[in-house]
Amino acid sequence: MKLKVLPKSQRKHYHYLVLDIKSDEKLSKKVFTSIIWNACIRFQGENNTSNFNLWVIDLIERDSNAFYNEYSAIVRFQREFEDEVRSSLALVNNFNKKAISITTIGVSGTIKGCNKFI
Amino acid sequence: MFDLNIKGNSYDTNLILAKQASKYGWKHINFAYNQNDYNNALIFKNDVQKALNGSIDIDYTLNIESNNPNEIRKITRKFRHKTSCISVLGGNLKVNRICLENVQIDVLSKPYFKRYDAGINHILAKQAKDNNVAIELQFCDILKSYSSHRSKILSNFRDIIKLHNKYDFPLILSSGADSIFDIKTVHDFKSVFKQCGLSEVDIEKSFNVSENIINFNKNRKNMIMAGVKVVK
Repeated sequence: MKLKVLPKSQRKHYHYLVLDIKSDEKLSKKVFTSIIWNACIRFQGENNTSNFNLWVIDLIERDSNAFYNEYSAIVRFQREFEDEVRSSLALVNNFNKKAISITTIGVSGTIKGCNKFI
Repeated sequence: MFDLNIKGNSYDTNLILAKQASKYGWKHINFAYNQNDYNNALIFKNDVQKALNGSIDIDYTLNIESNNPNEIRKITRKFRHKTSCISVLGGNLKVNRICLENVQIDVLSKPYFKRYDAGINHILAKQAKDNNVAIELQFCDILKSYSSHRSKILSNFRDIIKLHNKYDFPLILSSGADSIFDIKTVHDFKSVFKQCGLSEVDIEKSFNVSENIINFNKNRKNMIMAGVKVVK
């Protein structure tokens, strides 16, 4: 039996971050998910990270040049914790000893609204 | 949105870094060179400015790296009128003290560098306030460290911020970026420092301090003392 959908007032409120990612290594969505979870757990701890409700909506490959691979991503999070998520992701420096940089280029209340940043 | 310390390099690297910083919302960046490389870097400063077409302002910071107080004094006197900002790499207690007592120096960079404490106390904090020497915290130190080392740096930041709140000395925040991977958007930069205990107002104030340093040094010859200016 399926659970009944919560009334609107009881649901969690989400926002969506649009990320700009530069990486030495090619990334898959699965790998990227583990990177952001590890980043948040490392900087904010397990207890705080449980509040964020992180979810990777999409990872889009944009550009590759001689120096790095560039991606955009949309990540969902609970809207009260924007600064915490942003700071955790900004402090990602390497993955598997390869350089990686994540920075937030926009934040939106809807997935559709993210399009203007990509 | 002023960043006074991005590590300067060759013409091409500076251009890439400046373009990226402009894209991420920075209005002004300073490339930092040490006393040995500064004169060589001046050669291509105008070329970089022209190539950027005014999308972002750039300037140079002289970053003095020395543990000898006399040498620091000599270098400061030599370069004072050639550069828009003089910063000294701290860490050594003698250096920290000599910098904060010298009105010709603008910034003491990283007083906690290679130390187990913040590198400044209440006395040095008062000196910084009296001589208007800013203390610089670098984003890159948190970015490039991890685990216990990162925790210790954050703890040092908190100690400095506590003194800043009490004694109100000028505090500046800079990225210390040396590659395109280290430059973040202004909002991300603020978010990280908010996690260290700075308020939004303090962060805005730190950008204003950076701006004031550059404006003050453009007009330094006419400044007789703090608050007194020659008007022609």
